[in-house]
Amino acid sequence: MKKNARRQFALLALCAAMALPVAAAVVPPGVELHPTQTLIRNNGSEPETLDPASAETVGANNITRDMFEGLTANDAAGKIIPGLAESWKQTNATTWVFKLRQNAKWSNGDPVTAQDVVYGIRRFLDPKTASKYAATYGVFLQNGKEVAMGKKPPSEVGVKALDKFTVEIKTPFPVSFLPQLVSNNNLGPVHQASIEKFGKDWTKPGNLVGNGAYVLKEWQVNSKVVLEKNPNYWDAANVQLTRVTYLPVEDGNADVKLFESGQNEWVYQLPPGTYEDAKKKYPKDVRNAPMLGLRYYDFQTQSPAFKDVRVRKALSMVIDRDILAQKITADGQSPLYGLVVKGMDGAEMFEYDWAKWPMAKKIEEAKKLLAEAGVKPGTKYTFSYNTSEYHKKMAIFAQSEWKTKLGLTIELEAMEFKVLVKKRHDGAFQMARNGFIADYNDATNFLALVRCDSDQNTNFHCNRKAEEIINQAEQSDEPAKRKQLLTQAVKMIMEDYPILPMLQYSLPRLVKSYVGGYSLENAQDRFRSKDLYIIKH
Amino acid sequence: MWSYTLRRLLATIPTLLIVITVCYILLHAAPGGPFDAEVKVSEAVMANLQAKYHLDLPLWQQYLHYLNNLAHGDLGASFRYADWSVNDLVAAALPVSLAIGGGALLISFVIGVGLGIAAGLRQNSMADHGVMLIGNLGSVFPSFVIGPVLVLVFALWLHWLPAGGWDDFKPAFMVMPMALLTFINVATIARVMRGSLLEVLNSNFIRTARAKGLPTRLVVMRHALKPALLPVISVMSPLAISSITAALVTETVFSLPGLGKLIVNGAGNRDYTLVLGLVVLITVIAVTLNLLVDLAYAALDPKIRYH
Repeated sequence: MKKNARRQFALLALCAAMALPVAAAVVPPGVELHPTQTLIRNNGSEPETLDPASAETVGANNITRDMFEGLTANDAAGKIIPGLAESWKQTNATTWVFKLRQNAKWSNGDPVTAQDVVYGIRRFLDPKTASKYAATYGVFLQNGKEVAMGKKPPSEVGVKALDKFTVEIKTPFPVSFLPQLVSNNNLGPVHQASIEKFGKDWTKPGNLVGNGAYVLKEWQVNSKVVLEKNPNYWDAANVQLTRVTYLPVEDGNADVKLFESGQNEWVYQLPPGTYEDAKKKYPKDVRNAPMLGLRYYDFQTQSPAFKDVRVRKALSMVIDRDILAQKITADGQSPLYGLVVKGMDGAEMFEYDWAKWPMAKKIEEAKKLLAEAGVKPGTKYTFSYNTSEYHKKMAIFAQSEWKTKLGLTIELEAMEFKVLVKKRHDGAFQMARNGFIADYNDATNFLALVRCDSDQNTNFHCNRKAEEIINQAEQSDEPAKRKQLLTQAVKMIMEDYPILPMLQYSLPRLVKSYVGGYSLENAQDRFRSKDLYIIKH
Repeated sequence: MWSYTLRRLLATIPTLLIVITVCYILLHAAPGGPFDAEVKVSEAVMANLQAKYHLDLPLWQQYLHYLNNLAHGDLGASFRYADWSVNDLVAAALPVSLAIGGGALLISFVIGVGLGIAAGLRQNSMADHGVMLIGNLGSVFPSFVIGPVLVLVFALWLHWLPAGGWDDFKPAFMVMPMALLTFINVATIARVMRGSLLEVLNSNFIRTARAKGLPTRLVVMRHALKPALLPVISVMSPLAISSITAALVTETVFSLPGLGKLIVNGAGNRDYTLVLGLVVLITVIAVTLNLLVDLAYAALDPKIRYH
């Protein structure tokens, strides 16, 4: 029976892969293109690197996504489509075979081969490269974790070239979302010859050889990164934009001013408190889509103040997420009561039973819980957050909710981001602001925040029974069973209240109405410039 | 004069060492390290990162290593911007800051001195009140208020200038940031020049010159201007230094790729080498400017030369 299920799943995966669309910018019929196909988009910050193996921020990944293409890719709507690989199949529960396009070329004209993919993945996991994501993604490849930890050589990672255009990837357990995972350019190919020739300068204009739709034309630190269409790209005929300029503007107000003056066509994110005005002022340009991201507060569950689950539950119950979303942050984000956000694959969304109760009933229950836990009104707690107007607004709201509804005294502690992350990793806090945006669309990505031995677990809570269920799910090659087990594990963990979910992220921004190909379905906010085009205006 | 200059230059070495040492200690004492991030890196990766940047060595060895590199003109590798060395980053940002800050300072000197003289010569006149008003406005309104107003008027309403950004020293991109810094500097220079000129004009040697029948123009040009300029020269060095710190606001408002942005991001990212490199640079600029001011003083006041 199990073998049958595996076969069926493999067939399904193959069919799905074969049925996937491959086109680049899909220009709807009747849409007339502008004679000048150029785009200026703000990227929110200066990229820390243009080396896809080391890229960690959203900004750096946005640019490398244009210059490099992984085995798979995200289309404009965020769906997984063929990238460098034109098809793939799961030959058994832990083995995937990717067939590369034979017409794929590097920007210098060299063919892209399976060996380039193997080199890219080995280099990414090699501790010498010091990629901060090596362990995060490494766990899904056979020996990947050991290689990332420096316990095995990179040659032992489960990736090999079966022939010039075929790559085999082995995983340590069934990883049903591997095609999703390899859309990340960290796990993509890089051009070995140019890296060896130029060393750390290989990412500079003139040196950088990529296999994506664009090549690096200019990089002025803190000023702009300019990309131009790569004539050697396999799908160049369907790439509309000929030039893309990425700006590194961090200040949201300056970003909007550049948009208003016509110097920028894509505001990275509207400044706090301006979304409603922007909707009125620029109804055609304002775009706001939900993201696979979670705004939450961590409880330090090992701290004496928060060891008792009743205290954590009481504090979670009385935060009115509806008011928070509609009146406080007021930028289109959704109230959230669970770990798994809307649109996330691999587990059902979880919501507490009390989420729909009237607030009076929640307060009554919360007070009862606190009394049972021996917490008296006036009890003091400390809440830590990193200095930002947005986080401050949310923290003051939470402080007020806990004060007015439960009589608790909350001391707010603002600090630099670096200080906060260190405090969180060290467990040197009582409650702390936190947030997470998905690296890949699977519930296990979010479960890393609450799993027992995860580096990302900054609430220090561990539910061993749930951990066993997650392990069972990870070993399962039946998607339905896996989903059921992960959903069960999420429920068990969330009933322990290790975190306080607040909101699901959305990204309110301005994009000129003439920028075609922008979709509100792209929940990971991964837009490749090859999917965009400029409509005649 | 040459030995004086040489002595002053040699005196900069201990100043520089003290600044670097204090900054080095403070940076390393600040909580949160360069590789602390949302994603906690594995121990193997952390070990490699630390080895790459010599953070695995004892602090004193790191310090000596840094000094040795510095003596060879190498400011080190940036912790945050992995593809660039600090030398690269400074080389990219310095010309922008020099063009904007230096240009603004030069213009403010000319305009400020001119306005100060006009006001000083016509005390309590409309011109005097006008200059004082500019001086007060420049002191009262901070750059983060004036900057966005300039953008609103000249970029968004009139469409005369770009709202910000940078494009290879094209004048259009430099006008507003320079105007903003000039406005702030002019206010100070004009007020100092006016006060100084009034003081000089009331001194005995000017009264003597007037008593000899010299016309006002000659009295001012030959006798009053030089001594009246001394306090203005004195404020030029702090103004130049404050232009670098004010550049932080200016660069944010106008999205300029200058030194201010680098140093703030560097401090936030705990990019030790970048911050130290910029501190060294700013210290050298400060010391050089102070030296130039002293030399200008000596040129304008013979008493200082004879001492």
